Amino acid sequence: MLTTTLILGLVLGGTYALLALGLTLQYGIARIMNLAYGEFALAAAFLAVALFQGIGLSPLLSLPGIAAAGYGAGWLLYQVMMRPLVARSGGGGRLETDSILATFGLLFLLQGGLLLAFGADFTSISHLERGVDVFGVPVAANRLIAFAICVLAGGALVAALRFTRWGLAMRAVALAPGSAPLVGIDVNRVARQGFALGAALAATAGASISMYQTFSATGGVVFTMKALVIVIMGGVGNVPGALAAGFALGLIETFVATAIDPGLTLAATFALFLGVLLWRPQGLFGART
Amino acid sequence: MLEIRGLTVAYGKHVALEDASLDVEQGRMVAILGANGAGKSSLLGAIGGRVVPVSGSIRYRGRPLLGMAQHRLVEEGIALVPEGRGIFPALRVEENLRLGAFPARARQCAAERMEEVFALFPKLAERRRQIAGTMSGGEQQMVAIGRALMSKPDLLLLDEPSLGLAPIVTREVFAALARIRATGLTILIVEQNARATLELADHAYLVAAGRIAGSGPAERIKSDPAVIRAFLGGSPAAAE
Ligand SMILES: Nc1ncnc2c1ncn2[C@@H]1O[C@H](COP(=O)(O)OP(=O)(O)OP(=O)(O)O)[C@@H](O)[C@H]1O
Ligand SMILES: [Mg+2]
Repeated sequence: MLTTTLILGLVLGGTYALLALGLTLQYGIARIMNLAYGEFALAAAFLAVALFQGIGLSPLLSLPGIAAAGYGAGWLLYQVMMRPLVARSGGGGRLETDSILATFGLLFLLQGGLLLAFGADFTSISHLERGVDVFGVPVAANRLIAFAICVLAGGALVAALRFTRWGLAMRAVALAPGSAPLVGIDVNRVARQGFALGAALAATAGASISMYQTFSATGGVVFTMKALVIVIMGGVGNVPGALAAGFALGLIETFVATAIDPGLTLAATFALFLGVLLWRPQGLFGART
Repeated sequence: MLEIRGLTVAYGKHVALEDASLDVEQGRMVAILGANGAGKSSLLGAIGGRVVPVSGSIRYRGRPLLGMAQHRLVEEGIALVPEGRGIFPALRVEENLRLGAFPARARQCAAERMEEVFALFPKLAERRRQIAGTMSGGEQQMVAIGRALMSKPDLLLLDEPSLGLAPIVTREVFAALARIRATGLTILIVEQNARATLELADHAYLVAAGRIAGSGPAERIKSDPAVIRAFLGGSPAAAE
């Protein structure tokens, strides 16, 4: 019983961690709080389903392409919609409020587009549902695959941020955008990359969610909220923190659903969120990037 | 190497620097002296691409420089150590230095250059793993200068490297500047510590109320009675 909760919780947490990673990248590096973030994940989920049902392409195979499309969409969105806001803010705090308002509008635009294209019904696919034995607990293969994707993508990102010159430049922009040009970093370019990469992660998370969860065109805001809760729990801009908090949230939700009541998961999430905001606003793990 | 003509910098209606002209020859160290608010940082900021001048021209190696983005200037070999240092306080000393070598021009031989910086500032070698923001003011200034050197500059712009430092630390910084200068690097430095700066510099410009008020070889400026009164303190006789 406990092992089951633990394993299912970790598997769910992997998706959450990846989802939160993208949001924290967009906010930490590009300084854009993207309220339409969940719609990106959702669009990717719908795309994965459409490709599966339309041409029989397994989400596993379409995922790299969907992630790349997410990167492209994020890049384009930054260039078209965010660049003017960034230019106008002149590096000040105004970008945060402006971006919140702009992406709030974008949320409804994307949601409308999804409703128009895919309708309001819940969608799911049954693909790779065969149970796999994990320490005596039967877990659907699709969940395990989604988990593996999240761990690989998240781990690769963390390693790249920590150990490569590219990652060092990303961190420099996140920490001191005013100083980054002094060492020859093109802040605008790095911010665009960070935003696009965040969108790619949202797409990856969305496509892996489509493999095992039911979702509908209006559910994007739940993804955004959960990602936001995790980001704040992990400490804003703190990548390892977001990973750890993602797993923690997966565990807590699974525990509440099995031990108390499945209807209470969302309530538990927000109780946790409130608790963190009240007692540890800097996040559970301090504030270092 | 650097030719500035008629440079005017304004913030809104406030003119911080007006019609400034200045030359820096290759391999020389040129000092800019002036009171607080005279417009020294504005001049350096305009060269380093931090502020956009209203008018005037800046030519570097015969090519116009104005309008080039700040990060591109670093690729051109112009490294600025701004007032307040502009380091990455949350990153380690070593990471700050590695970022200094981020420009494409500096990527080759970055490891050797880091050894040179460590030879120049042995303290940084001891503290390479320390978070830069937890270091003393003098050590942070060393990080800032070391980081600028990592970018393999042809022209080093220094804005008040001794600002806020204790006299003994200031001496350490100037000793390092003397060694950097001995490598033949071209340096343009803004400093309040006029005496120590004029000991090292070849040439000096005086800035007062947003205008270039005078210039000359450092030797001559050093013995100019007006300069002694304004910057060096005490009477000309006492300065001897
Ligand atoms: N960002 C800014 N916005 C508005 N005014 C500014 C700005 N930066 C500088 N100034 C003004 O321009 C004038 C020149 O400033 P600058 O920083 O160039 O002087 P400085 O010679 O470097 O002085 P200090 O020795 O105090 O560093 C000052 O009157 C200052 O108040
Ligand atoms: Mg100044």
